[in-house]
Amino acid sequence: MPGVEPCVRPGSARAVLLSLGVLAGAVSAGILFALGDRLSQSDPGTIMVGSGVLAGAGAIIGMIAGRVFGDGPGLPDRVRRESLGLEYRSAGTNVLDERRPGTLGLRFGPAYALPNGGVVRLFGDVGGWLGTARDTDPRPQFDEGAGTRPVTLRQNRLAVGLGLELVVPLPYPVLRRGSAHLGVAELRFRPEFQYRREWLRYGENDTRIVERTMLLPLNVGVRWHLGPRQRFTFYMGPRFDIVSYSDPGGRSLARGKPVIAPLYAEAWYDIDIPLTARPRRDHRPRKTVVNSQVTFGYVHSRFDGRGFNFGPVIGFLGPLVTEYSIRVRPRGAIAAMQAGVGMVVGNGVTFTGRVGVVLPDVRRRR
Amino acid sequence: MTGSIERWLGMCVLAATRMLHGCAQAECSSPSYDEAECRVVAENAMARLATAGQIEVRFQHPSSTDDATWIAGGLLAEVEPGVVSARVAGAGDFAISVRPPETGGAQELTLVLSNVDPAAVVTVGRVGEEVEFPADDAGDTVRRLPIDLARGDTVWIRGHRPCPDRFRIAVTADIQTNPNQFARIVERLGQEAVDAEAAGEPLVALLIAGDLAESSRQDEYDALHLILAGLPVPVAVTVGNHDIYRPLRPEFTRSFGPGNYDFRVCTAKVVMLDSGSGAIARSVEARLPEMLARDDAEFLIAAMHHPPHAGLTGAGWSREDMAQHLLVELAAADADLVLAGHNHALHDYPDISIGDGRLREIVTGTGGAYQGLGTPRFGYTRLTFGEELEPCFVEVPPAGYVEPQSDGLRTLDYCDES
Repeated sequence: MPGVEPCVRPGSARAVLLSLGVLAGAVSAGILFALGDRLSQSDPGTIMVGSGVLAGAGAIIGMIAGRVFGDGPGLPDRVRRESLGLEYRSAGTNVLDERRPGTLGLRFGPAYALPNGGVVRLFGDVGGWLGTARDTDPRPQFDEGAGTRPVTLRQNRLAVGLGLELVVPLPYPVLRRGSAHLGVAELRFRPEFQYRREWLRYGENDTRIVERTMLLPLNVGVRWHLGPRQRFTFYMGPRFDIVSYSDPGGRSLARGKPVIAPLYAEAWYDIDIPLTARPRRDHRPRKTVVNSQVTFGYVHSRFDGRGFNFGPVIGFLGPLVTEYSIRVRPRGAIAAMQAGVGMVVGNGVTFTGRVGVVLPDVRRRR
Repeated sequence: MTGSIERWLGMCVLAATRMLHGCAQAECSSPSYDEAECRVVAENAMARLATAGQIEVRFQHPSSTDDATWIAGGLLAEVEPGVVSARVAGAGDFAISVRPPETGGAQELTLVLSNVDPAAVVTVGRVGEEVEFPADDAGDTVRRLPIDLARGDTVWIRGHRPCPDRFRIAVTADIQTNPNQFARIVERLGQEAVDAEAAGEPLVALLIAGDLAESSRQDEYDALHLILAGLPVPVAVTVGNHDIYRPLRPEFTRSFGPGNYDFRVCTAKVVMLDSGSGAIARSVEARLPEMLARDDAEFLIAAMHHPPHAGLTGAGWSREDMAQHLLVELAAADADLVLAGHNHALHDYPDISIGDGRLREIVTGTGGAYQGLGTPRFGYTRLTFGEELEPCFVEVPPAGYVEPQSDGLRTLDYCDES
């Protein structure tokens, strides 16, 4: 992997991450329990609990993966966000007469390589629900027989997201001496906004349009390359929400102003797994290079209605994410194909499928 | 070969679909009461009762004259043959219909009304022939009404609380493991009821915005009923996340009745919403325009457990999309105040921008639940309704302290007790 010294000790790095994760999670949970909810700004505590657990779990899984698949060498063509792709998110219900459509989105993420090893990536997605969600009124006094109930809510959703990610390697002439064995790190700045336009029809009322916008103007993060094939990434930043709406049946919106919302955070643990590292049995060169990646994540945001709840812990945590992606590149080809499947756990389980094409970064030296 | 692969793929897809979604069935056919929609089913089912003597008892909209349907306005149970307990969910106006059996069956019923303001006027009779049933002198919130069904018509029981121009409502939430502290708050509220009556602005209700119990056990709710029995005002409650801790048993609903309902008391309309699952039921979301319709009320307030605007507390709705839909409906209805708990603290968000409207939200999770190290701030928010809605906080220190241990917030003062 470019920029990573071969003498990195992933085991030590994972041990440090595990310790930090346990420490952050335990201390934050301890503070939350000890100081209780009296902290008027307790959101950082719940972020550290979620991210700490993810870091700890990632380090343990990474240790197992390192033993099974090896910790190196790095993959020069590892899985990254596709330049252009499609994503489908499942949805469904087993309630009679109700409907939950899946979500289809067009994703893009072209990148521009900076001369110092950094990257600027424009990323986003445009999509929405593939149809109208329907909910029924379950009150027994409205039972229409044979389990059928009147439809009482109809909803459609358009989803748009746009962001810019700036990746800058840390100045290693300064830090390399002291931290070479623990892997390199890079700083990230990722301003982003997410927009949802929803059409809500309650009962027999006219449709009301609701616009919900999440602004993340100061989202900053750090990526730690724990080894040539494993990375831990953490983002955090303030979040501002804007909620606008129309009158029922109307099309013009009463625009809201930005309101401070819970903090936003993400924590990811990536593990690269090469699938064509071994030579062919007939010793002939492989025609394609296939690499894959397992990702575990915690997203501290319930903006799309996905939160991870257990017991009475309801309304504090965001969803958990796991994904597996494969990149297939014919040897020497400029473009590669990438596909992946995933699962989001939060207010139920959502399965995701993704397919896309990867083009080279602009100005990247090959 | 290709055909068999397609067949296998088809079977796999079908099996996966079945595993994920199962066969379609009616809502809550196999109920789990940690799902908001199942509690909607339960609270409506428990607001209608067919007695052993085939008498049909139903909670009704206060202005209704049709007994064909019912609303989740309270909790009904036949405690012994011929005796039905009816806990009214809210304060203020209510109605119950009692329909005699079509043929034969019982001709008499004793209705034990509970959670009714001692100052409320209760009438009993056929539509247009209701006569006032006098309150006893006990001054509590229970009334025992003999219902004569010999004429074969539906008998209506209606309640209305006459009000002066000014009145008060108290709000708290999050009792959980500390009913002893809550008992101190109730004792303080009992004194406030006396003082408020003397001041000409009676206390007409206590709202508890969820987490009445720690583990949603029946004995926890029984203990609360005993504490609340000493309070001479109706208590309107809704569900918190700790009230659905045991999803196989609807203990909260069996003890207190519905979590989603609205009522009109004096010049205020109060909307209680069950957000115990981190969101309201979708069917309740669909009814928001109806529930939040102000009608001719001067004030509109809504109470729920999870604050729809969480600020930086980190304790909000699990489904923020639905929280924002609710905020839209509240802003569109020009609600005067949003009340919540969940966060074991006192917070005031006086200026939440939603569309071109502004909302105020007060979190009063100070009913006794653990607040961490240091001296906790327990108590209740007092809402005084007159020309304006004036909120302030009454601190009820824990045992061992006499004076309030904290100060007011920047935008929410302590009540002037002088």
